Amino acid sequence: MLSLLPQLLVSGVATGMLYALIALSMTVAYRATTIVNFGHGDMVMIGAYASYVLTVTLGLPFAFAFVLAIALLFILGWVTQRGLMQPIIAGPHLSLAMMALAIGYALRGAARLEWGNGVLSLPRPYPQAAFMVGSVVFTADDLVISGFVLVLLAALFLVFHVTPIGKVIQAVFQTQRGAALVGINVRAFHAGMWGAGAALGAVGGVLLALIVPLSPDIGVWTLVRGFAAMTLGGFGSLPGAVLGGLLLGIMEKLLGFYVSTVFIDITAYLVTILVLLIRPKGLFGQHATLRL
Amino acid sequence: MKGAPSTAPSAAAQLNARRAPSRRAFWLIPALLLPLPLWLDPYQQYVANLVLMYVPVGIGFNVVVGNLGLLAFSNVAFFGIGAYTSGVLMLKLGLPWWATIVPAGMMGGLAGCLASVPALRGVRLFYLAIMTLAFGELMRWVYIRWEPVTGGSMGMAVPAPSLLGWSLDSESHKFYAFLALVIVVIIATDRLLRSRFGRAFLAIKSNEEAAAAMGIPTDRYIVLGFAWGGFVVGIGGAMYAALVGHLTPTSFDLTELILQFAIIMLGGLGSLTGSVLGTIIVTALPELFRDLPGFEELAFGVMIVLVILFLPRGLASLLARAHPIFRDRYYRE
Repeated sequence: MLSLLPQLLVSGVATGMLYALIALSMTVAYRATTIVNFGHGDMVMIGAYASYVLTVTLGLPFAFAFVLAIALLFILGWVTQRGLMQPIIAGPHLSLAMMALAIGYALRGAARLEWGNGVLSLPRPYPQAAFMVGSVVFTADDLVISGFVLVLLAALFLVFHVTPIGKVIQAVFQTQRGAALVGINVRAFHAGMWGAGAALGAVGGVLLALIVPLSPDIGVWTLVRGFAAMTLGGFGSLPGAVLGGLLLGIMEKLLGFYVSTVFIDITAYLVTILVLLIRPKGLFGQHATLRL
Repeated sequence: MKGAPSTAPSAAAQLNARRAPSRRAFWLIPALLLPLPLWLDPYQQYVANLVLMYVPVGIGFNVVVGNLGLLAFSNVAFFGIGAYTSGVLMLKLGLPWWATIVPAGMMGGLAGCLASVPALRGVRLFYLAIMTLAFGELMRWVYIRWEPVTGGSMGMAVPAPSLLGWSLDSESHKFYAFLALVIVVIIATDRLLRSRFGRAFLAIKSNEEAAAAMGIPTDRYIVLGFAWGGFVVGIGGAMYAALVGHLTPTSFDLTELILQFAIIMLGGLGSLTGSVLGTIIVTALPELFRDLPGFEELAFGVMIVLVILFLPRGLASLLARAHPIFRDRYYRE
């Protein structure tokens, strides 16, 4: 039993990388606007479908289609924030959450109307191979996904901690009025970051489409795992999102193997509920509850 | 305001305008609905029953989200728990359907109390939303895995419903039973919302800290709001079990949740009229587009977006503008 542990950890980390990327894309939009995008899962889904259409239907080379899908999703995120979220941004939290939910709902409907309920699969642009290191199997999928996510993480770390953009992000997160007073264009920034979140989500969507069959309902699946990872790591924390995603991936595999396979589906839900009840701020987050 | 005078109105006229109109006229609606089964074919009758079934579901949801102002996504859990309670009591204990209505509501209410626990621990906003969402999905997992009781993912066939020995074997029989239940639910919820409970809900919604500072025991009212919401939705679940006769876990997934959200968002948050109006739109409309999968989601998504942008108080606010009887005012200014 225990001899399988390294293998479980490896595949857990590989899945966790994907969760980390999705949680990270949600965190980017959340940190910039302090609004949780309940339609984010469907943005991820649309990103995956966009790459499918560009590669399979239009026959573009994979790398080009990938970049184009990311650009398209950036525009989609930018437009929805500017056109739909910004007009009600001063309104109650409820309408903002509902708006994001409704946008996702409409996107899912559009995908179902166009591609139906059947599943599609995105052909891999690389050979499906597996490598043995000792007794542990690494698949090409694991390596590609992990490699991609690591590169993105490094890039994001640089953006957030080295470039001036990182300072702007921090300023707007702390106080929007103060940021506006020192000359930051908060509106443009919000829309841009919402777009960036959607674009990062699209990367997650394309990587996801490589390993799971594509259907309009993967958005919900994605959203729940992204939330669980964010909650575990602490809402709004970038390292927290990454660590939360990795831990979630590992936990799914360990619970599924050592306890029962029926737990794989609900690990994310259990994690969300337990973390919010026991330690609502997660591993790295700020205060999350209201005390009266 | 039709014919608002350009000059300053007299004090008496002002008082008159403030007084809520008599709402006895609402009894016309069920009276007009009574002969409806004479004209409808069985399928249309089924859709009418579906609308009636969703009315308590929308009302219960709206009490928590619209009146109490808490972003709780656990409504489908209450709905499913009510439906499965009713189904299990009928199938395993052989109870008649009418005897399962109150237990289904009670179980829904109990689930409501359970779902209010995070809110009492201070979890708010989207944290609460995510947590209650997880609760709903966890319940769906329970329906799938607790096979001996729920029949697993294959579902469970529910015996034909009956009311006090009178068998509800046709859709029109169900219609009258549902209509009576819906009237009771609407009157009870209306009474609750117009009492000090309803005013406390509104106080909590507008400013929880201020409400607590004024001496309103906010915790108690939050539990009560969730319990009432769960109770009413549980009754809707019992009606669902009677209506469709077969319960499967897929009926209680996130798609269902968003559909129920569409009801209260389109109808109008915090408005009883809105819950009913939203139910009619959201339940009856998809039946026209059954052949286009996805169209309903797209249409409702776009409609919710438009309502949030241009009619923040929902479609019920149009009715309220047309006639003061539709206004939901739970206090005097």
